[in-house]
Amino acid sequence: MAALDYLQFVLAPQMVNGLALGIAVILVALGLTIIFGLLDVINMSHGEFYAIGAYIALALAALGINYWLLLAAVPILMLPLGMLTERVLVRPVFDSKDRHVTTLLVTFGFSLVAEDVLKLVFGPNTQRPATPISGATELFGIFIPNYRLFLIVFGTLVVLGTAYVVYRTRLGAMVRAAAFDRNMAASLGVPVSLVYSGTFGFGVALAGLAGVLLAPIYSVFPTMGRDFILLAFTVVIVGGMGSIWGAVVAGLLLTQVQALASLVISPVWTDPIVFGTMVAFLVFRPQGLFGKLGHG
Amino acid sequence: MVDRLTLSMRASHVLALALVLLALALAIIGAAAGDTFYLRLGTEALIFAGLALSVDLLLGFSGALSLGQALYFGIGAYTSTVVLMKVPSFWLAMGAAFATSFVASVIGGLIANRVRGVYFALITFGMAQVVAKIVYNTRELGASDGMIGVPVIDIGFGPFSVSAGSPAGFFVIVLATIMILYGITAYLLDTPFGRVLTAIKANEKRVPFLGYSVRQARMACYVLAGVIAGLSGALYPMLRGFVSPELMFFMTSGNAVISVILGGVGTLIGAVYGSILLVVLKSFIGSWTEHHLIVIGLLFIASVMFMPKGIIGLVRPLIERMLLRRNGLAAKTPTDIEPGLSPTAEGARQ
Repeated sequence: MAALDYLQFVLAPQMVNGLALGIAVILVALGLTIIFGLLDVINMSHGEFYAIGAYIALALAALGINYWLLLAAVPILMLPLGMLTERVLVRPVFDSKDRHVTTLLVTFGFSLVAEDVLKLVFGPNTQRPATPISGATELFGIFIPNYRLFLIVFGTLVVLGTAYVVYRTRLGAMVRAAAFDRNMAASLGVPVSLVYSGTFGFGVALAGLAGVLLAPIYSVFPTMGRDFILLAFTVVIVGGMGSIWGAVVAGLLLTQVQALASLVISPVWTDPIVFGTMVAFLVFRPQGLFGKLGHG
Repeated sequence: MVDRLTLSMRASHVLALALVLLALALAIIGAAAGDTFYLRLGTEALIFAGLALSVDLLLGFSGALSLGQALYFGIGAYTSTVVLMKVPSFWLAMGAAFATSFVASVIGGLIANRVRGVYFALITFGMAQVVAKIVYNTRELGASDGMIGVPVIDIGFGPFSVSAGSPAGFFVIVLATIMILYGITAYLLDTPFGRVLTAIKANEKRVPFLGYSVRQARMACYVLAGVIAGLSGALYPMLRGFVSPELMFFMTSGNAVISVILGGVGTLIGAVYGSILLVVLKSFIGSWTEHHLIVIGLLFIASVMFMPKGIIGLVRPLIERMLLRRNGLAAKTPTDIEPGLSPTAEGARQ
């Protein structure tokens, strides 16, 4: 019976927590991977956009705005911010010879500024918004906090919605066409310029949404993006840069590895194991599990 | 016959000489005034300049952006600390740091050089992060606290000896070390090996057709950069008396990248000037606000977007023109030489 107890009280809750984290990481990684897949840009400031999303939620909540409204309001506010960032920072260096390095550096610079601005405006201290749904539900004999349950369901819906838009709608076809061949898409009447900034904005909005969703669990502090972005990058690389399903599979796998490793080995060794996986993938299969957006 | 690369490197040497003279003058003034704080700050800037130098060697000459160069800096620093705590010898510490950073960068190079471009940036980032986390969790290396209590050593040169505790003396030692590293790098870049690197950056696919091995050249460049970072790192515990895992974190690597961009990619001496500029900016802005990252971040973005050759790019063309006039080369080869358009700096940012 001890084995069953272990399964029910130790292993299963740990795996459910890992799943909740996994969904959250996928939301962040999704924006990162879409931006890379379409624009061929590594957005080093993605973690800061995640933090900005959480802080906007905090500020709006202080004004008395309902949490459920925030889930819509924050992405809507983040979209123009992302589009503006693309226009002002990424666009001018987009056609430089070494696009990867230059855009990476520019967004890295922006992340420095953004982090410090957050510190300036909101202060360096950690803040923790109240959990909007309290209590826990018993499922198959496991107690799961209701908010994590909501996070898993809602996150799954967002991922499925994103995949639907990208793969099954006219808008998504335009985005994929622009990713595949920018000039051909333009000659067929796709407003490529708008698609580019729109996609960047969309990726940033997803990061912001992840910020709102995770704030009640992981608290809000100016450098919150930094720890998270590492995991998101790992997910994107293992899944294959630019691949939506790759990010989903890698996100679920890696967070389970993390959850189980912290249980079986030791919490302090989870990071080396997860990053070691990333390095191993980069060495033996640099293209990741799946291909690139717009290429199949 | 002076080609563009040689000319721009000579201009860099003039700037290096100016830096050494200025630094020596400041050391004398500092020693006379009995200053400790500014000399120590300057020493630290020079130590991190060594790290920036290694980033510039990779980015500016072989076109590979390393986001984890602090890994080798940290390995050098930890090696030096461990050695100094057992045997307080400068030369032994430097030798050990050379050995460990050499071995580590051979291993790291075998992993990282399998990929290119943005993957190279991310793999170096990942490797540094993995090792930093391992060090962070290893009790023998002091875990998250780092290691404290490095003894103040005497650095012997035959009959002479300088104490690392003397601010001006150690400043001059570090200055000499960094300038020797600069000199070795500049010399190697002037050999056929250096030209192969420049060729790789310009067009990697054509290099094998010229009969050169891209893999060997990239590997040699990576190991050289790793060793430079390691030797610079070895100086750190002698200055501060401790090491901590933060030395390997992304912020350290990131600061080196910022220094290189501000100073000027592909100029070598720009990395040193950039590192000094960064330290000056930090302490200068830091004296009236703690939010210095906003200013540094904006400067960095502006530099990437509008000033691809950094501060050296503003000054060096003038020196190149001066050198040309003195050598009377301008009249002989007017079309061959375009001051300010060194092939390295041009290739770096376009």
